[in-house]
Amino acid sequence: MRQTTVDALLTLFVLVVQTTLLRYMALGGLTPDLALLWIVYLAIRRGQIPATVAGFCAGVALDLLSGDDGMLGLGALAKTVGGFIAGYFYSENKVLQTLSSYRFILTLLLVATVHNLIYFTIFLQGSEVSWWGAVFFYGIPSALYTAALGLIPMFAFARRALS
Amino acid sequence: MLRRLYEFGYLFKEYFILAFFVVLSIALLTLNDTPQIRMIRSITVMSAGVLQDVFGAIPNYFDLRGENQVLRELNLSLADEVSRLREARLENLRLRQLLSLKERAQFAYVAANVIGKNLQLLRNTVTLDVGEADGVVAMMPVVTDNGLVGKVVATSGHYAVAQLLFNEDIRVSAKIERSRVDGIIRWEGGNRLLLTNVAKTLDVQAGDVVITSEYSSMFPPGIRVGVVFSAHPLEGSLFQIVEVAPGVDFPHLEEAFVLMAVPDSARIALERRFRE
Repeated sequence: MRQTTVDALLTLFVLVVQTTLLRYMALGGLTPDLALLWIVYLAIRRGQIPATVAGFCAGVALDLLSGDDGMLGLGALAKTVGGFIAGYFYSENKVLQTLSSYRFILTLLLVATVHNLIYFTIFLQGSEVSWWGAVFFYGIPSALYTAALGLIPMFAFARRALS
Repeated sequence: MLRRLYEFGYLFKEYFILAFFVVLSIALLTLNDTPQIRMIRSITVMSAGVLQDVFGAIPNYFDLRGENQVLRELNLSLADEVSRLREARLENLRLRQLLSLKERAQFAYVAANVIGKNLQLLRNTVTLDVGEADGVVAMMPVVTDNGLVGKVVATSGHYAVAQLLFNEDIRVSAKIERSRVDGIIRWEGGNRLLLTNVAKTLDVQAGDVVITSEYSSMFPPGIRVGVVFSAHPLEGSLFQIVEVAPGVDFPHLEEAFVLMAVPDSARIALERRFRE
């Protein structure tokens, strides 16, 4: 119970950082998805169910903040599936090994790519914006940027694993 | 039987939870504009606005010196332009009176700070520190001295979320200021806008200023949108591709004004009735 409360509070904190400070990290109009990074971390640390639930909650909160664009639920769907997929990489005995190695980055990259594919497939329905263009110019760069941000916790955990 | 059902549920609990949240997400997607969801959205915008207000106080000292210099120069040239415009306005008034033309509506502005930006995957929005308490409501245009920024899409007591022109949902009726050629502004990704529905034969040149047109039921006419970057014919079509560089520097947007103009509901209703 205590762990769940801590995770919920940390999810809230991540959302606050995502909506307030991450704009300072914008590169070419793209920001990394800190919420997704947290969900992947949560999946590797705690497992599939907490990551799926956190994915849904974080997605809904970010959707609500995107204004009335008729897409409430889209981020929730993409992040729920993202959290679920990341949960497949959970192994109770190998948490630190996964977090401190390239496997964490690869998982993050995979989840971010799937997340963005789901997102654009629904978001661009009925739109004249090219799906390939959106994926190529926004989806993949955004996934790479998120994965690059994942290097920071990866190195931190690698250091902890060494010590 | 119940025990077996429980065991089955427990064995596949991850999949049941996934299915539950996926169904819930899809339900939210289909129930988007109910009053309950609008209320939740308003509360979320308000809560996030308070936090963004706090963190928005982090200033960017590095550009202040350069910005100060630019503003001083701009101030000088604007002061000169204002005096010339004042003369032109008086002349315009006299001529309008002579021709008995209707005076264009004047709108009030509410100054706002950009306290949050959401640049997530084509859903480009900004959070402003003005809301319903300041008279701001959804659909009001947002502008800067450089031109059109977008429109307000959600409000709470003291905060508002505005959709930027760099948003694939936005459509703006616009025209070329010089040649009065009409088109529709939209965004398909990248750093430029597109002026669409412009026939190949019409006169559009790089450097032409693009402004909102009288055909827009959303934005008042005459608001600067940007400058034509390039115009070239579209192969196998009657139209040309007109790329427009927006006047507003969206990545560095820090202040904006909400134009206290709501779309004319009578006009929208009439146009909708006619279409139907």
